[in-house]
Amino acid sequence: MAWSALGPGYGGELVVGLSELPASLEPGVPGGLGDALVAGLVHETLLDTGPDGVPAPRLARSFSSGASGREWTLRLAEGTTFHDGKALTAADVVRSVRRFLRSPSPAAQRLAETLEGATAFRSRTSDECPGLIAAGQDRVTLRLAGAVPLPLAPLAAPAAAITSAAGAGAGPFVPTSVLPGKSRGLVAFTGHVEGRPYLDVIRLIHVSDGSLDAALRAGRVGLVPKAGKGVQGGVLAGTLLLVLDPMVPPFDRAESRSAVAAAIDGADLVRHLMPGADPAPSLVSPLLLPPLGLAIPSPRARLRGTARLAVSRDVPPIVSQRIVAYLIECGLEVRVEAVAPDAARQAGPALRLLLVAPEVAEPGLALREVSTLAAPVAGAQEPLRAVEAELGLDRRRAHLHRAEAALRSSHTLIPIATLPISWQSRPGLHGVSVTACGRVVLENAWLEP
Amino acid sequence: MARAVIRLGGLRGRLLVAFVLVAVPPLVVLAVAASALVRRTSEAAARQRLEAALGAARAEVGRRQAEARDKVQRIVDQDLPELAAGPEEDDRGIAENLADRRDLDALEILDGQGRVVSSRHWPAGFALPDRDETFPGADDMRLEKVAEGYGASTRLTITASQAAQWRGAPVTVRGGTFVDGEFLARLGELAGVEIALRDEIRGQWIAPLGSAVGDWREPAFGRATAYETALAPAAGPSGEVSLRGAGYRWSASALRPSLALVVAVPTTSFESLTARVRHLGLALSLAVLVLALAAALVLSSRIARPVARLANGARRVAAGDLATEVLVPNHDEIGDLAQAFGAMTTELRTSRERLLQAERVAAWREMARRLAHELKNPIFPIQLSIETLRRVCDQEEDGTLPGNDGRFRSLFLESSETILAELHSLRKIIDEFSQFARMPQPHVGPTDVNAVVERTLDLYRARAERIVLEVHLAPGMTPIAADGDLLGRALGNLVGNALDAMPEGGTLRIRTAAAGGSVTIDVEDTGPGLSEEQKTRLFTPYYTTKRGGTGLGLAIVQGIVSDHGGRVEVRSEPGVGTVFTLVLPANLPLSGSAAD
Repeated sequence: MAWSALGPGYGGELVVGLSELPASLEPGVPGGLGDALVAGLVHETLLDTGPDGVPAPRLARSFSSGASGREWTLRLAEGTTFHDGKALTAADVVRSVRRFLRSPSPAAQRLAETLEGATAFRSRTSDECPGLIAAGQDRVTLRLAGAVPLPLAPLAAPAAAITSAAGAGAGPFVPTSVLPGKSRGLVAFTGHVEGRPYLDVIRLIHVSDGSLDAALRAGRVGLVPKAGKGVQGGVLAGTLLLVLDPMVPPFDRAESRSAVAAAIDGADLVRHLMPGADPAPSLVSPLLLPPLGLAIPSPRARLRGTARLAVSRDVPPIVSQRIVAYLIECGLEVRVEAVAPDAARQAGPALRLLLVAPEVAEPGLALREVSTLAAPVAGAQEPLRAVEAELGLDRRRAHLHRAEAALRSSHTLIPIATLPISWQSRPGLHGVSVTACGRVVLENAWLEP
Repeated sequence: MARAVIRLGGLRGRLLVAFVLVAVPPLVVLAVAASALVRRTSEAAARQRLEAALGAARAEVGRRQAEARDKVQRIVDQDLPELAAGPEEDDRGIAENLADRRDLDALEILDGQGRVVSSRHWPAGFALPDRDETFPGADDMRLEKVAEGYGASTRLTITASQAAQWRGAPVTVRGGTFVDGEFLARLGELAGVEIALRDEIRGQWIAPLGSAVGDWREPAFGRATAYETALAPAAGPSGEVSLRGAGYRWSASALRPSLALVVAVPTTSFESLTARVRHLGLALSLAVLVLALAAALVLSSRIARPVARLANGARRVAAGDLATEVLVPNHDEIGDLAQAFGAMTTELRTSRERLLQAERVAAWREMARRLAHELKNPIFPIQLSIETLRRVCDQEEDGTLPGNDGRFRSLFLESSETILAELHSLRKIIDEFSQFARMPQPHVGPTDVNAVVERTLDLYRARAERIVLEVHLAPGMTPIAADGDLLGRALGNLVGNALDAMPEGGTLRIRTAAAGGSVTIDVEDTGPGLSEEQKTRLFTPYYTTKRGGTGLGLAIVQGIVSDHGGRVEVRSEPGVGTVFTLVLPANLPLSGSAAD
């Protein structure tokens, strides 16, 4: 207690326990908590976003618009370097954003649709991207096809991280060692844009499912992800979703999907098994899109058959078992298979249970990202397009609610609960925070000596 | 080296075979019998082990059943009344606490509507109706959902249920033990066998992790068998099956209808025991066989060696070595035989010496007789001629020679001519005898037989004016190892004899041929032929059928051909003719002499 009162101090090693260690450090769409953590440690983006989707500076220290909102100029932070010692330049930004535009990220799709000539570039019909211009050594200009709301928000996506020509990142920690599937070591980066982080070393180690709490209690690790209400962080960033494939019987019938939705009692689940979670039936976090509380009619019905359920490993096992219990009560025989978080995002099994944290904390992008998890829903496309073009905040929110309701009414995406993504730490660890996207931030974390 | 070879057909070989035949069959019979005995014994032991394991497993299941009933009863009687009412969240943990206290795998408390109030094995099922079912035909066994990973698995559970009143409301307490792979593995370890359950309804195995029995795709016992064995569990089916490339002996019994209890042991244990016995028997047999062979070799050697010495001695005696002595130290029948053999060779040696002496005397006598006979013939005309000349000479001196008008001269010339002719005959006789006595050793070299025939015929063509000469020479004959000159002389004698046999003319056929490692030369005439008596004496020296012949010609022919390792054959038919055939070896070594 006395040490914490003295404030942060430099030094120390933090061991983080993860059930899934990221295999790659390449910027991309985070598949789970581990991916998101490493992305935030190793890489840095031009901008960050707050819960309202408004950009906040990171590598780009300022941004300004002109031409009635159709041209945006970003000025880069002076003296910023990558982990390989190279100075950050506008050319690095252009190269990194071009890579991002061609990535599978839904945020990249959104940026490509707004940036001049970027759609052809993304689809690889052209190698030119006229809307992306390096205007000098430290300035980058984005020329848009038209004025859109929050055009810079996609640049906050982890997949839009800026890297050097050699692929080095600019995040607060430098990756040093790796034992594939077992551990990964990172050391503090003194040249970080926000200054040197407090911790000297962060070591990520693999801890099997169900052993995370025990490892924390035993002192083997200092920080572990925790479902529900944790000690550190804990914003309502994740949405527990059951995704149904409408091409696989019996879910090819709307009545069957509706029966599944009716069988799953989100309120009951949250009350008994997910303390701190919100049973509000919304596809995105209420922090991003406050729910209207519209109930989607879901008549109960008895089903028959066997279904394969892929469960993302970052879903708590007891929660998954309760979902299985609901499905059995519904009449289905369920074969469960635990998969990696990024694998759970891929279509295949008839049922998928996954915890979705948005790539970018912006409601439009978050809803778009969720919609890509399931088969396209006809009634949701028009309001989703309207969201992209609407500058008025209220009307934009109305379109978002329409799209969200359309997606839910198809029952291919069944929101079960919105839950806080939080981390539990050992005593003496301070300054850990979690963003609205569920990313744990350790650049300000420090350890009592 | 030749001595080391043991011929199977020989006495020693037969003795060895007899020894082996006497020693091996009992050993083989003993080894087979021992192996069969061990196999039967180990199989019986395996059967007993399997039956004991079946009984133990059934008993353990029964014990677990009784235990579950007892524990559930204790929970109802003792534990539930102690539990105070609390929040619903606390109720969810009750089953886990009670199960831990009573050491139960599965425990659930159901409300009056059959909803799960608390479950140890499927905590995710709280507040939902219990949908688990009893195993068909077995009220004390249920298929319970059990939390596993991110979902649930179904496990066979021995359960006991008890109705109770709790907090003023009716509840059902149900608890029990999993009959899963872990349970069966523990049972199997205790019994030293693999134990598994066959769920005939779902066609699934409940088996320990890694159990080979769980890989049995098509068990030999079916549902009907299981039902039948339920009536008489002790008489369950059994057999052998190959799983994962290894043999297993199994036995089954119906634990419940449609639920077969299967126990199995790998046959490798008693197979290896049988194999060890077999190998031991084989090694023992081999050792005894080697010992028997060694003994047979020693004994047969003691028996056969003197016999072999006697045989060798007999062979040497037969080859003419009458000085052979066979030393056999035995003092038995074979020793007596050896002594008799020695006496016989001594007698033979003495007899041969006597015979040789007699033959030499006879030969000298014959030689003297022939020489006297041959010399007497020319001497008589010489004597007459000289006496005639002396008488005429005396008459001329006395003047009593009538008509002394050169008659003396005429008589002198006539007489001296006669004397010279007879002296010539005498020289010829002496030359022939000398030639016969000094027959040279052949100087062997590559000899073309056809060329020898042609050279010889050239010498006799002048004498064959009235003879039809037919020569058939085999083409491409390989030269043989022979002395061409001696061969020509032998052939010349035969040709000369043939011509002499046909004074009035006839046909002389000469044929050469090569076959079967021999070269033959036929000399055929169409003369008067030979009688049987003549044929038998044909090659006797000094025997002749010709006037003025010495009787040495054919003897010389036979001597030459014998020196070349060949032989002379004769075929003759009176009135038709005679064929002499020289048979010479075609593969005689080229160096040295044939007599070597």
